Amino acid sequence: MEQALVVENLKKSYGKFEALHGISFEVAPGEIFALIGPNGAGKTTTLRIVATILQPTSGTARVYGMDVQKDAARIREVISYLPEEAGAYKNLTGLGYLSFMAELFASDVTVQREYIQRASDITGLGERLRDRIGTYSKGMTRKLLLSRAVMTHPKLAIIDEPTSGLDVVAAIDIRESIRRTTAEGMAVLLSSHNMLEIEYLSDRVAIVDKGTIHDVGTPQGLKDKYGKANLEEVFVQVVRQ
Amino acid sequence: MRRFFVILKKELKEMVTWQTLVPILLIMVIYSFLGRTINQEQKKQAAPQPITVVDLDRSQTSELLSGILTKANFKVTTVTEGVVDDIVRKVASEKGSAVLVIPHGFEAGLQAQHPQKVQTYTIMRNFSMMGIQGTFRMDAALSAMNEYIGDMYIKSGAPGLDPAVVKHAISSQSFITVGATSAEGDPQEIVSLVMQQTMIIPIVLFLVIIMASQMIAASIASEKENKTLETLLSTPVARGALVTAKMMASGIVALVSAAAYMVGMKSYMGSLIGSSTGASATAVQAIQKLGLVLDLRGYILLGLSVFAGIMVALSIAVILGAFAEDLKSVQILIMPLMMVVLLPYLITMFIDINTASPVLKWLIYAIPFSHPFLAAQFIFAHNFTMVIAGIIYQFALFFVLAAVAARIFSTDRILTMKLNTARRGSSLGGWTLQREGISLRIRRK
Repeated sequence: MEQALVVENLKKSYGKFEALHGISFEVAPGEIFALIGPNGAGKTTTLRIVATILQPTSGTARVYGMDVQKDAARIREVISYLPEEAGAYKNLTGLGYLSFMAELFASDVTVQREYIQRASDITGLGERLRDRIGTYSKGMTRKLLLSRAVMTHPKLAIIDEPTSGLDVVAAIDIRESIRRTTAEGMAVLLSSHNMLEIEYLSDRVAIVDKGTIHDVGTPQGLKDKYGKANLEEVFVQVVRQ
Repeated sequence: MRRFFVILKKELKEMVTWQTLVPILLIMVIYSFLGRTINQEQKKQAAPQPITVVDLDRSQTSELLSGILTKANFKVTTVTEGVVDDIVRKVASEKGSAVLVIPHGFEAGLQAQHPQKVQTYTIMRNFSMMGIQGTFRMDAALSAMNEYIGDMYIKSGAPGLDPAVVKHAISSQSFITVGATSAEGDPQEIVSLVMQQTMIIPIVLFLVIIMASQMIAASIASEKENKTLETLLSTPVARGALVTAKMMASGIVALVSAAAYMVGMKSYMGSLIGSSTGASATAVQAIQKLGLVLDLRGYILLGLSVFAGIMVALSIAVILGAFAEDLKSVQILIMPLMMVVLLPYLITMFIDINTASPVLKWLIYAIPFSHPFLAAQFIFAHNFTMVIAGIIYQFALFFVLAAVAARIFSTDRILTMKLNTARRGSSLGGWTLQREGISLRIRRK
């Protein structure tokens, strides 16, 4: 079966600084794959390259066989990207924002309505969707954005720090939403420095530090391999080696 | 008291940043440049002004008057024969600016104590504030002559002198010449009528350019700050469409507000100057005869020039906006653009482009925003080639800048370029334009 994402020897430099030193990994359709690592590890750079908004210095990233550089326009039709701590247009209502984004992805009005309905159901914001986004809490905005990211049935969702800065209840809601939507076959590439979240969410994990992937495996597999009780301890040991 | 100074020191540190210093320094540089340039132009004005005297009387008095004009700081060229219209046309084509015609029988008339009428032709090429100064030249020539004749009458001590004749022995029949056409009328009244038609254009244009540029740069900066830009860039929207839509939206909002300003400003200016209905019938006829009323062609050319100026400003603002990381940095980024718009506005107001030095002239032409300010003047002076050349230059520049802007948006430079205004531990802070590859201060994760 064709992989949702194949990253091979990906490098990215900002001038003399090399943010990615040649990382490789694969994500299967329907799989939740997480990049874990501290701030500045290269997670966001990787996600941005896969989302076609940064160009790699060398190496390749292919989404369902399409190259992020040569086929960027085609890739944008099948992915969705949710940046860390992203905002939305504060003067729009929740529904207005969903409608705006739906119009960017589909020209057919029926399809647009279906997208908006799906997103409305996922957000759980009910009548508040008619209010201006400027009046939303951080958690509400994140739910809106996440529902926007999955409403178009993307084949690959790229989510940067899904729950950073959210309270426990909002974080759990978001994680459950991600879990539910992947049941339909959507692959997810996410990043986080919250190891507990990753343990709950991901099928497989890559431990990233200083632009290099140190190990890849299932959360349980990694814990067993290093004989640790949780991913945090695994991470510390891997990085110290 | 010590705590007061601690607070004072902190406030000063917060306030004295490049954001506040750069505009002050720029304004200082620009105004000292302007001051020097205007000073030079004024020296030019103080130099003897050329005037052609058509002496049809060929008398001793008329010859003496030429001498008087020389003393009154005029550089006199005397012509003693020919058809007046032809002479005026010739002087106009040779970039002269004033012709004085002393009619036949002038001396005899004065000796008989009959007031005499001379004809004055003011040749207009410039309808800016500086251009108006030319219209005062004739008044100066006339009063120098009147003073001399008056002195002569008084010295002669002739009995039964009419004081009115002594004071105003010579009056003038004034003409204004534009291109090859002359029309009778008071030059000052005509110039102010012409200026009224286009006076608000530079002010409105200035406001529109600043507003539209700030809007588009702020829009890009706020999208970057809120990370909505990253989201948009990952959607199936062509990058060109993104840039064009942003530019068009700012352009539309700016034009609507320009229209509102125009309406308000027109009534404000009208109240200051007095409405044009107060103008004399002669002046109205003269501006029509001289083609100093904006017709459809004039409006189209002026509109195109203004539109092109706005488009150039917007494309520059998009590029500057790409450097902005947040709304705060927009202010400092837009400042140079504001200065570039302000400079031709002030220069064209105080300097006659026709007589400016070649370096200054080409500097003014090189600034794309000079052309909308100059367009009205060129249209009135029937110099359509300059207007069209200006429009072509502006559009050419726009296409180049728009291509650069589209290029920035189609690569990852839109996310990696930035203007860093962060403090570097020093009290003044750092101010560097960054691009990927220049510095390690690029944010990474």
